[in-house]
Amino acid sequence: MHDRVRLVIPSHPKFLCLVRDLTVRMGRITNVTEEEIEDLKLAVDEACSNVIRHAYKGDTTKRIVVQFKTGPGGLEVIIEDNGLKADPSVIRGRDLDDVKPGGLGVHFIRRTFDRVEFDPKKQLGNRLRLTKYLKTNHEN
Amino acid sequence: MKIELTSHSSNIVIVISGEIDMHSSPELRARLLELIDKKPPVLLIDFTSVSYIDSSGIATFVEGLKGMMPYGGRLKFVSIPPKIAEIFGFAKLDRVFEIHGSMDDALRF
Repeated sequence: MHDRVRLVIPSHPKFLCLVRDLTVRMGRITNVTEEEIEDLKLAVDEACSNVIRHAYKGDTTKRIVVQFKTGPGGLEVIIEDNGLKADPSVIRGRDLDDVKPGGLGVHFIRRTFDRVEFDPKKQLGNRLRLTKYLKTNHEN
Repeated sequence: MKIELTSHSSNIVIVISGEIDMHSSPELRARLLELIDKKPPVLLIDFTSVSYIDSSGIATFVEGLKGMMPYGGRLKFVSIPPKIAEIFGFAKLDRVFEIHGSMDDALRF
């Protein structure tokens, strides 16, 4: 994966539209299908919303760094914050049969990306690495 | 996101346009719960012009539905764009929400 684009936003929900717009553009540049781009948009939005909600506990004065790496193999989205450390072992969506508000974001992220992993080397805050392989390249 | 209130055959219709996300869903939640407080028998949500919904928007509607169920109220969704319908389907919410193709269909059933 070669080309990199970096977006830094304040941790306020009103800036999430910028993340969504850039995700769509980067998906198109990467040649992801339009249908999958809609899923990408939702998944990256959910990941950034989780940063605001959980890592920053709603504090809108922090910052979120969203980095896109695009190449012939696919798209990688890296989301970094300096908030509370996430514990990947306890992150899980709600049972989809248990209808209640919340708990869907993780499902949207996991169904979209081929790899979802927190970088253990990040000391302060979180670095979430989301990888989407282009189907043709991945299958070959 | 914009919210307009209209009526169809004496029922309240919430017409939403634009994106329902973490930024806009608190406003939607406030408007929805304010209406539900009045215990309308039917509340129609017109999705025709909704271009996007995230999990916070979905949670808002789940909360609305749970607010109407105790008194037998019915929350009905109308004209959901295909992508949003797919999201509801994935989340298995198409089993709990009443989803209709048109206002007339929504009031017929």
